[in-house]
Amino acid sequence: MRTHGNSTRYSAIPAAQPTRGPRQARRRFAPPVIVLAAVTGLALASAGCSSAHGSSGSQAGQESGSGKTTAVAIDLTPRGCAPRPASVPAGEVDFTITNKNAGAVSEAELRTSDLSKILAEQENLTPGLSGGFSLDIQPGSYKINCPGAAQQHWTFTVTGKQVGPSWQSSTQLAAAVRSYSAYVNQNTAGLVARTQAFCRAIDAGNMSQAEVLYPKARIYYERIEPVAEIWGSLDTDIDGRWENPVTVASQFIGFHRIEQLIWDDNTLTGTPKLCSGLVANERQLLTLVRSAQYNPLEMASGATDLINEAATSKITGEEERYSNTDFPVFQANVDGAMEVVSLLRPYLTHKDPALLTQISKRAAAVMALLAKYKASPGYDDTGYVEYSTVLHPQRRQLSAAVNALAESLSGLSVQVST
Amino acid sequence: MLAGAGAAGAGVVAGFFARPGTNPGDPAGGVVGDSGVTVPFYGPHQAGIATAAQDRLAFGSLNVVVGATRADLRDLLRAWTTAAASMAAGKLVGEDTRPYAPPVDTGEAIGSPVSQLTITLGYGPSLFDHRFGLADRKPSALGQLPALPNEDLDPGYTGGDLCIQACADDPLVAFHAVRNLARIGMGVVEHNWMELGFGRTSTTTTSQATPRNLLGFKDGTRNIKAEEKALMDDWVWVGGETDQPWLRGGSYLIARKIRIFVENWDRDYLKDQQNVIGRAKVSGAPLTGGGEFTAPDFAASGSDDQPAIPANAHIRLASFEHNGGTRILRRGYSFTDGIDPQTGTLLGGLFFIAFMKSPAQFIRLQQSLAADALNEYIQHTGSAVFACPPGLHSGQRWGDTLFT
Repeated sequence: MRTHGNSTRYSAIPAAQPTRGPRQARRRFAPPVIVLAAVTGLALASAGCSSAHGSSGSQAGQESGSGKTTAVAIDLTPRGCAPRPASVPAGEVDFTITNKNAGAVSEAELRTSDLSKILAEQENLTPGLSGGFSLDIQPGSYKINCPGAAQQHWTFTVTGKQVGPSWQSSTQLAAAVRSYSAYVNQNTAGLVARTQAFCRAIDAGNMSQAEVLYPKARIYYERIEPVAEIWGSLDTDIDGRWENPVTVASQFIGFHRIEQLIWDDNTLTGTPKLCSGLVANERQLLTLVRSAQYNPLEMASGATDLINEAATSKITGEEERYSNTDFPVFQANVDGAMEVVSLLRPYLTHKDPALLTQISKRAAAVMALLAKYKASPGYDDTGYVEYSTVLHPQRRQLSAAVNALAESLSGLSVQVST
Repeated sequence: MLAGAGAAGAGVVAGFFARPGTNPGDPAGGVVGDSGVTVPFYGPHQAGIATAAQDRLAFGSLNVVVGATRADLRDLLRAWTTAAASMAAGKLVGEDTRPYAPPVDTGEAIGSPVSQLTITLGYGPSLFDHRFGLADRKPSALGQLPALPNEDLDPGYTGGDLCIQACADDPLVAFHAVRNLARIGMGVVEHNWMELGFGRTSTTTTSQATPRNLLGFKDGTRNIKAEEKALMDDWVWVGGETDQPWLRGGSYLIARKIRIFVENWDRDYLKDQQNVIGRAKVSGAPLTGGGEFTAPDFAASGSDDQPAIPANAHIRLASFEHNGGTRILRRGYSFTDGIDPQTGTLLGGLFFIAFMKSPAQFIRLQQSLAADALNEYIQHTGSAVFACPPGLHSGQRWGDTLFT
């Protein structure tokens, strides 16, 4: 998995952001900014592409009419965090947050009006420091929240007409997004069902059966992981590795904790409870994905993320370090990425056929290398050999092919957003 | 030597890695000074050989990946030419005008002075195997080096289908060049190994002061200098003797990663250190007297009737007098890979680079060094040989004369 500890994308530097030059300089030493999610009306949007001081990914092709940025200043004081102005037109809004003298207040969040979701936040502002975030905001009512202040919630209003994403006018892109949504739902449902089967083997005390069923459940997650990463803590609960980012024993509760117990400690003690907790978290994920909406840019960058993930944690054998079942999840990463390519194919065929050809060629190269390690029934019935048997030169070869694929996939985002 | 880019090594064009649309002279981009000087990319010979040695090195050895074709390789060399010419001129490898595309240039050199960046390309022997239809283009002199004295080669630091030598006075600028070329090459080539060099250890022009290597001694005092045109033609530039016309005007690059056991060396007493090298440590003068540039008198005896410059002194065994006149152009850098995890001692030394008309020159010298007193303190741990094609004229691209 790509844990949220290192899944933060470096802030993209939009080609033109003239209004931000001097302000960035002023903020050079400000604490890090986290933009958790972009705002698309009531749509639940991915944080996967949004970034501090960058346009939100989920707004791709949706640059609102005026193209103007509105500045909003928020002073953190013991009294609260009143936004100035408290009402702005829809579009890009650049928040500057300054802690004047509020010892007990150190952060400001932009939340939905019912407070249920954090859309962006700036933490760790001690007195004297300033920071901020920028994002495109759709019309509606929001709350600025500053825990610790006398008045914690402040209303923030965005006026104007809701602007629909322009990609929706492309029937091919709209169809791709619909199909991707179905693919995510289907795989999440599969994840729950396969994990339940895994848990049944555990409950029955059948370790060898559990070993076989573990990778069979994992592949469903590894096909859609960039989506699951939207809900960061849920991703950690399901797929967190010990040091990345968990590091607290009581919070090491997902797949990899069970993997460690089975393969490393050779015990099922404690696994039934962990497994039922895992299923509960997966059910929560299923509820969330069923109401989630995606856009083509998220699909595209998600495909790159999947292969980046294969390139970092699969090639090294880090992810499935106890079980050595890296091959099936490696394959799942590739499958998930290529599903996106497949769904975007009708659109790309006209938009950038050369890119499509390059991606297909490089994907075929990866698949050809993977095929060398196929076995029947294979290690733990995975259809592949045990990953630890793959030696250094072969891993380098896999790595070169996977990086080449990721590099070409990174060319997708601009094609689906312009 | 390079026409228009010779001893002084550089043109007078101020260059900065400017973001498109910004004015390089803008104060925000930095202060225009000597570090903004560019070295011409085009010329009869590739830059980075006779060019006055810059302070920093980034060196990449790359292999062509399985499945890449002759056409892929040819296209890559063309793309590399464009990118390298751009970077040598202080420009990024492309403009970033699309917010939803990954930046074309990786960006770390934005605002940095071009720092006399040179990018030198070489072809390894393995490039001329069956894979790309280049077997009949292989220079007969380009082969794997034979086993040589005092080496224990790490396969992870050996060979390569291609090399990129990037030199600049700013380490970030040199690194940026190799990183961006490797990125452009993804899917066609992959890094075999890479080394960063800090501190040049050679002088390649008469205008430069002689630097010191990690032994603390001046290095390169008797190196060929770019101004010595006859020596350059005799010993550095490939000429009519080659069986491959495409290589004329080029040069062979031999890279050797030489670990120096600095802790042991530092425990040796001064007089012995000087005997090992054959020179006085501080002044650089040969043990037979005079100044740094006084010719060593290898025949002279000391007070004990032994040779004043010992029989196994490094400068004696490496000298052209001792090797039938054989010379090479050294252009190495000190390097460190940090601390040896097994021993806790320094993992560093000399990243030796030399250019020559034929690898036979290096082989002869290295075989002579079998008896070198310095061997007690060093070990060769990496090795590669490359044929560097001649320079390009404007409009020409790397590989044009190879893929015909």
